[in-house]
Amino acid sequence: MVFGSWVCLLAPLAGFLAILAAGSRLTRSQAGIVSTGSVFVGFAGAVVAFVDAWGRDADERGELTTAWTWLKAGEFQVGLELLIDPLSLVMMLVVTGVGGLIVLYSVGYMAGDDEERRYFAYMAFFVFSMLLLVQGGNLLVLLVGWGLVGLASYLLIGFHHERASAVAAAKKAFVVNALGDAIMALGFFLAIAKVGSLDFGVVFEAAESGELSDTVVALVALGLLGGAVAKSAQIPFHTWLPDAMEGPTPVSALIHAATMVTAGVYLICRTHPVFEAAPDVQALAAVLGLITLLVAGVVALVQWDLKRVIAYSTMSQIGYMFVGAGVGAYGFAMFHLVTHAFFKALLFLAAGIVIHHLAGEQDIRRMGGLRRALPTTNLTFLIGTLALVGIPPLAGFWSKDAILASALDEGGALGWILYVGGLLGAFLTGLYSLRLYLRVFHGEPAAEPAQAHGHEAHRGEGPRSMTLPVLVLAAGSVVVGLLNIPGVWHPFEDWLEPVAESLVHPSTGEEWLSSALAVGLGGLGALLAWRAFQAGRELVPDGAVRRTLEHKLWFDELYDTVFSRPAQTVAVALRDRFETPVVQGGLDEVAEGTLRGAAATSSAQSGLLRTYALAITISVSILALVFLVVR
Amino acid sequence: MMGPGVPWYLAVSAMLFSIGVAGVLLRRSPLIVLLSLEIMLNSANLAFVGFSRLFGEMDGQVFALAVMAVAAAEVCVGLGLIVAMARRNLILDVDRLTELRG
Repeated sequence: MVFGSWVCLLAPLAGFLAILAAGSRLTRSQAGIVSTGSVFVGFAGAVVAFVDAWGRDADERGELTTAWTWLKAGEFQVGLELLIDPLSLVMMLVVTGVGGLIVLYSVGYMAGDDEERRYFAYMAFFVFSMLLLVQGGNLLVLLVGWGLVGLASYLLIGFHHERASAVAAAKKAFVVNALGDAIMALGFFLAIAKVGSLDFGVVFEAAESGELSDTVVALVALGLLGGAVAKSAQIPFHTWLPDAMEGPTPVSALIHAATMVTAGVYLICRTHPVFEAAPDVQALAAVLGLITLLVAGVVALVQWDLKRVIAYSTMSQIGYMFVGAGVGAYGFAMFHLVTHAFFKALLFLAAGIVIHHLAGEQDIRRMGGLRRALPTTNLTFLIGTLALVGIPPLAGFWSKDAILASALDEGGALGWILYVGGLLGAFLTGLYSLRLYLRVFHGEPAAEPAQAHGHEAHRGEGPRSMTLPVLVLAAGSVVVGLLNIPGVWHPFEDWLEPVAESLVHPSTGEEWLSSALAVGLGGLGALLAWRAFQAGRELVPDGAVRRTLEHKLWFDELYDTVFSRPAQTVAVALRDRFETPVVQGGLDEVAEGTLRGAAATSSAQSGLLRTYALAITISVSILALVFLVVR
Repeated sequence: MMGPGVPWYLAVSAMLFSIGVAGVLLRRSPLIVLLSLEIMLNSANLAFVGFSRLFGEMDGQVFALAVMAVAAAEVCVGLGLIVAMARRNLILDVDRLTELRG
């Protein structure tokens, strides 16, 4: 188990280093093969570890392995530790499995790009960072992985560095994530100060035993929540995610499905004892999730960019996971994470085929009728869409409804608000997903797309390396949901139970009731979208509401006014008032003074040998005299 | 103890040193300057040997040998320079070799 997990962690790192070291000695396609291979080797390692763990008793599936003591300061010490338990095994399988398919897809998608080697090196590095995050055996190792994921996303979102918008998007993602990292680090500092350790076990025990004051626990939980919210693109730290669509499409798939945004949900499930000790913060997580899932749902109704609609749907689905984790249904939150990884990767990769086919076109107003040109993509995208809406028996149906049922079971005002909001979210999901699907694949083909920018036209569905992962993911989107059928069997929930015991246990009746309502509302949304499409209407009529939604509720403008502009004003003022006159001017004066001094001193160098000798003689004589006198 | 006392040696050494200094300061031929330097070094050697004898220890003599070795090396370099200057037909006068003036 330990061996498998080390292989899983180090294989993508080895792939990354190999591509870096080999440089131009590898051809571009070889770099793709190395990267894909290394991630799949990691997947094999994860499977080995999983099978090993599967054979053990439920209580013995967790194992902490320490490579070496990494940091030591007095009483406080942190080792380079990996924690392998059912929770991290699930994440390892998703990250390397879905991630591997996405990297494989990139081999076809990125073919012909100028900087493929750099791309594949970064992809392997991204997977490695995420693995370090999920396998980290204490909070510090987790934080290291956390930061590396932010770095990798920065590098990949800004991959097309010749486009100013891509660079700006990468910067935005990095800054917002760094903000979350800083909040999380503050929580850790508090934990070090009060508990004296960053080991999961020690921190959890301290939180559970009640020896810490409520304020301390709440602050640590808030720190964790801040990090989780930023990484998972929940309100109010969500603004980076739609812009992150500037990266190549497989990168979007990797960020949205297998890595990065799922990290926040993982973190809450991993550190659930801290959240349980601070119930208010846990409720806050659920409320933030609810707000995000509704806001992202309505904003997705009016977006025109193919990838942005899917990006907002990711925010919305992660919102569901936060709701699940917030009411204590960790198993269901993780379950939705896994099913979402499949159908969201599927949607992105299928969208990538569409974009490829249309030579870089992403505006759905210029698409339409693609079901004839791309029959397989049409089918797989439909599967992904229906799984997203939650139509049985596809994956999203089982996992989303389980979260809703948990909210219902939670009861109380909060539970009911979450439940009703979640159902409304299901309705919105039906609306925006079907709008997207119909716009792209049905109706009349739009005029020939401009061949101006992006990839050169690859007509059709692309090479086998692109269609194969899509088909595998489509199959996955159909079957993974069957891992948890209410009232029949629930191996997934049982698997996670030893690590993150759920606080709520919805009855079978509640589950089926939620399912019926959610499917009904999702279907209703889909039907309305269909009717609107047939009538050629938009879902949201023109007007103030639509304008607000098109501006994503003015979040970007608000942050720009409140944070970005003042910071720029201060920076410009500092440059004009301090940097240029004082720092630069001061340096210039120092340089000039040195020059003048040197000119004055150099006249002492007469070049006459005898003058020098005389100077030495006189100096030595004076020194000798002084020596004698002072003695 | 045979012969003159140590103060005599020191007096001779001081005299030689002064002659050397005067040579370095007053003469203009680089060859003579070099020669005067050698005289100064050897006056120091004489002082070393004299003190060595006074204290009955070998340290001063060892030091004198080391100084001789260094002096030999120095003469090699100095004479080499002078020969090089002569072959380039430069005037052998330290007062006129002032190219390094700042």
